[in-house]
Amino acid sequence: MGGPDLLQAQVLSHGFCAGCGACTSICPYLNLVQGRAVLLEPCGREEGRCYSFCPRTEVDLPLLEERVFGNTRADPALGVHSSVVKARARRGEVRERAQYGGTVTSLVLHALREGRVDSFVLTGSRDGLLPQPLLARAGEEVLSCAGSRYLLSPSVGEVVRLLREGEGERVGFVGTPCQVLALRKIQAYEREWEVSRVGPVIGLFCTWALSHRAEGFFREKLEGRRVRRLDVPPPPANLFVIETEGGRLELPLDRVREFIPPSCRVCFDMTAELADLSVGMVEGEEEWNTVILRSEEGRRLFREAVEEGEVEEAPLERERLEHLREASLNKKRRAREEGERLGIRYLKGVEG
Amino acid sequence: MSRIGRDQPGRRMLLSGNEAIARGALEAGVQVCSGYPGNPASEVVEALIEASREFDLYVEWSTNEMVALEVAGAAAAAGLRSLTAMKNLGVDVCSDFLMTVNLSGTRGGFVLVTGDDPSAHSTTTELDTRSYARLADVPLLEPSTPQEAKEMTRWAFELSEELGLLCMVRSVTRLSHSRGVVELGPISRERRKPELSFPPPWTSGSSSFACMFHEALHQKMRTAAERFEASPFNRYEGPEGAEFLIVASGPPWIYAVEAVELLGLGDSVGILKLGTTWPLPEGLLRRHLGHAREVLFVEEIDPFLEQNVKALAAELSSEGVGPIRFYGKRSGHLPAVGELNPDLVLRALSSLRGVGYSPREEGYGRRAEELVGEHVPSRSMAFCPGCPHRASFWVLKRALRWDGREAVVTGDIGCYSMGLLPTGFSVEQTLHCMGAGIGTACGFGKLGRFGFDRPVVAVSGDSTFYHACLPALVNARWNSSDLLYVVLDNSTTGMTGHQPHPGSGFTASGEPSPPVRIEDVCRGVGVEVRVCDPFQVDEATRTVFELLQGKGPRVLVLRHPCPLTEAEKRKKRPRVYVDQEKCLGRECGCMAFCSRVLGCPANTWDFSKDKARIDEVLCTGCGLCATLCPAGAIVVEEEG
Amino acid sequence: MKDPLNLLVVGVGGQGNLLASFLLGSAAVEEGLYVSVGETYGATQRGGTVMSHVRLSRRRSYAPLMPEGSGDVLLGFEPVETLRVLGSFGNRGTRVMVNPRPVYPLEVLSGQAKYPNVAEVLKAIGELSSEMVVVEATELARRAGNPAMMNVVMVGALVSRGWLPIRPETLRRVAVEVFGEGSPNLRALELGMEEGRR
Repeated sequence: MGGPDLLQAQVLSHGFCAGCGACTSICPYLNLVQGRAVLLEPCGREEGRCYSFCPRTEVDLPLLEERVFGNTRADPALGVHSSVVKARARRGEVRERAQYGGTVTSLVLHALREGRVDSFVLTGSRDGLLPQPLLARAGEEVLSCAGSRYLLSPSVGEVVRLLREGEGERVGFVGTPCQVLALRKIQAYEREWEVSRVGPVIGLFCTWALSHRAEGFFREKLEGRRVRRLDVPPPPANLFVIETEGGRLELPLDRVREFIPPSCRVCFDMTAELADLSVGMVEGEEEWNTVILRSEEGRRLFREAVEEGEVEEAPLERERLEHLREASLNKKRRAREEGERLGIRYLKGVEG
Repeated sequence: MSRIGRDQPGRRMLLSGNEAIARGALEAGVQVCSGYPGNPASEVVEALIEASREFDLYVEWSTNEMVALEVAGAAAAAGLRSLTAMKNLGVDVCSDFLMTVNLSGTRGGFVLVTGDDPSAHSTTTELDTRSYARLADVPLLEPSTPQEAKEMTRWAFELSEELGLLCMVRSVTRLSHSRGVVELGPISRERRKPELSFPPPWTSGSSSFACMFHEALHQKMRTAAERFEASPFNRYEGPEGAEFLIVASGPPWIYAVEAVELLGLGDSVGILKLGTTWPLPEGLLRRHLGHAREVLFVEEIDPFLEQNVKALAAELSSEGVGPIRFYGKRSGHLPAVGELNPDLVLRALSSLRGVGYSPREEGYGRRAEELVGEHVPSRSMAFCPGCPHRASFWVLKRALRWDGREAVVTGDIGCYSMGLLPTGFSVEQTLHCMGAGIGTACGFGKLGRFGFDRPVVAVSGDSTFYHACLPALVNARWNSSDLLYVVLDNSTTGMTGHQPHPGSGFTASGEPSPPVRIEDVCRGVGVEVRVCDPFQVDEATRTVFELLQGKGPRVLVLRHPCPLTEAEKRKKRPRVYVDQEKCLGRECGCMAFCSRVLGCPANTWDFSKDKARIDEVLCTGCGLCATLCPAGAIVVEEEG
Repeated sequence: MKDPLNLLVVGVGGQGNLLASFLLGSAAVEEGLYVSVGETYGATQRGGTVMSHVRLSRRRSYAPLMPEGSGDVLLGFEPVETLRVLGSFGNRGTRVMVNPRPVYPLEVLSGQAKYPNVAEVLKAIGELSSEMVVVEATELARRAGNPAMMNVVMVGALVSRGWLPIRPETLRRVAVEVFGEGSPNLRALELGMEEGRR
């Protein structure tokens, strides 16, 4: 374990901060600046929550898997899971707003309606570019968060706030692998807050995200046009697409990739391996999502939503599953290479 | 009724050196007084401000010392008795005019009062302004006691008028701020009508004219020297023909008197007190140097008398003076830097005369040292409770850390100079003299072309802004220097006692005067300027951070009044206290942020519960700690 | 009276040191004595140590600084500062009147240093003085209406104790002139005088 000095040395000084908001929401010495944590000065403690919660400090993966799933992974590529399927929203209003299949939005709406949770921490955006954590309790709030964000929001901070305010509220979470990891570390290491109040954790597939410096670049290109949707179409397009109110803006993907921060380059997790269930796209089938069911809680939520007619399920073709595993392994490989290049290794207890 | 204005000749009062100087000016019939706040001289002007209505005086705080000397010089040229008072460094600022008005002369008595600061208690240098008297060739008077300060100031006007020349009265902190018994004299009620009847032009001239005036100046100084021979301010005490002679001036003279008394050396040591120290009273000196074999100089800070008297002794050596062994700063018997005190003089005399001295028994000294070492923590300076500079420096610290490019922060002169210290989170990195902050920033801000990639930030106060920063601000705009200039506007001249300045909205005498707003000046110069309240911490931090990303000169005014001004003190203060249930104390998420980091003296600690506590005697209710408390545990309860 | 009689008033910036020495000095002038009062303030006022030297004499004016080890009477507004000053200016015969309420320096608040146990500090002061009187002046001032009047309480206690050649009536007269009739400071002065007599 460690404190702010180690956090600075191992994470912040390398630019590995993922901007999840866990540490900045609890500490007056850590400020969130343009999507990254900045340490004003070390507080003098040798051990603190900042280090324990951070997804980029030492990660004891087997310990976390035990805690969430009751066992460790058999599959190195996709982590602990029971099945991988395809799914999509049945409701038209959801499909309209969705990035792809609308599965996440449907599951969230369902969980809220069923009263399983009182609220969900989601990520919305006022301008379509800059992300903002949102605590959603009902319909329109949830719908407004539909769509992929490419810049990360400090949504874990929003969960922390709720846990500290101790109202007894049960809260679910939708987020990226790094955010999910932070949340699971909080649940594993925090001693005072009632961490069992955190409800279903829905993870999103993520290959990479963009630093907030991308905002300036995008705004220059947008020339004032309002953003409706961001997307990376499948290869061989090699484009980053911004759907605006004034038409479609296509940007060279390689140029946009220059804004991928160091924290993504050392990330081993493409499919949010610690979530209750994980949701991503199906390459080539824009109307569907890939869904990985992992924990009992995740399975229950999915089953119910299917039974209630919120979500439509279908089997996932074998080639697609292989493709998914390959992509995930590629990300791990790249992360390991980057780690070796930089001389850091923060995963404990995991080989290959 | 003003403190120095009592019309009771013969009455004994406890006055400070500064008050006594002001009283002396009043007794001489001074009509115009100017100055700029500067420690230790400020109170001279303040005392005259207090008496101004009663005695029909014009007293002003000028924007800086140069203007102040010029204002008084003009009044004196018009025949009115005028006085300017300033701290040592102020003489640097007005030296341009000093070096020309000495030549152009005066009609009414014109007195310059300077306040030096041995040991630099509240300045950034121990500059000894007596050398200016030599440089400018003007008569110099050095009072030793408040009584003398009054007498000398009064007489200085007479002398000045007789000679048609500015006279200098030089005080030091120990005299200016000490109090002593002063017997009051009658106050002159003469009120002259101003008349500019000099044969014009009123000038120091140039080429042959300047030399002519220079020769005339020398003649005036010869007359001054004659007057000094007979002056009661020079005095010899001790046995006739004493072979060991102490030559002393200023407050150190009393230390010498006390030292001689305590060591029982009254029969063998003579003390020559000099109150008129430039030009030297050569006849008087020749008399006493004549019988001396050893001379110890007791003065502060520079060896001014030491060097000048030695030069005189060398001249007189062909006339039977000497050989003499000289002791003082050059010989190391007295320290060459810092303030003198009775102990230093005692030690020097004791070793030179071979007489022992111990004020208390050996054991006591040793035991006291032990106990003090065991128990006594050091005590450093801090911004007062409620000081807006604390908020401003926290804002700057955060914004600079957010920026991460290791900005250079230049500082300036005022309370906020403490931005160099932990109380200001060590944000400032440089400190010289008034205006040097923005001035040096202009230089740093042009080094980008050579590869300097650190952002440049200059910090100054509001009074400093008007005093010294305008030329540099124009320079920054004209020469496009890349810098962010942060002006800490607490609506007063704080360090020196809350005197008003051009932005305050009123003058020295309390008369309303539309404020010269800093942001208006900046706009007039053509520089981007914003105004924020530093107590709105997040907004101010974001503003600084944004401005740091810019180019060219940018100004940010952080404005919030000092809690110690009269206007603020009159306001009702809310009660502030810590809800110890919510307080996180030294736990993760706080680590005693308020007392350990923010460091307001009122943010104290309850060591029995290991939680924060507010010291209600010191707290001014500003609410900064409440705004920043990570647990929201500090409560601000408005009255009523 | 020992001539000169050397009095020290010591405290922390903001405790009202200067007003206290001014009251005592002015009262001494009214008693026909030669008085010199020396202080350091300016930057040191902002939370640092403040010391006033008050020299009283029937014969002549003395320097506004006393030599080391020559303090006769010490009026301390803060315990650690009182001990610190005794180190430089105290001697076996020094009489001390002290307010035991600590004012923590930044070094202590920031955790770099520890503030000593007040009882220990008072014990050390007792050892280094011929007589020590503890006056809970902040409490008395609070009773008079404002804890910030602690300095006035201390001045009252010192004068009524009789260690200085100043009569209580003289001090009262000076106080009325300085504060005006009906000022709560006068109440603080009385409470101090009562305490000093005990």
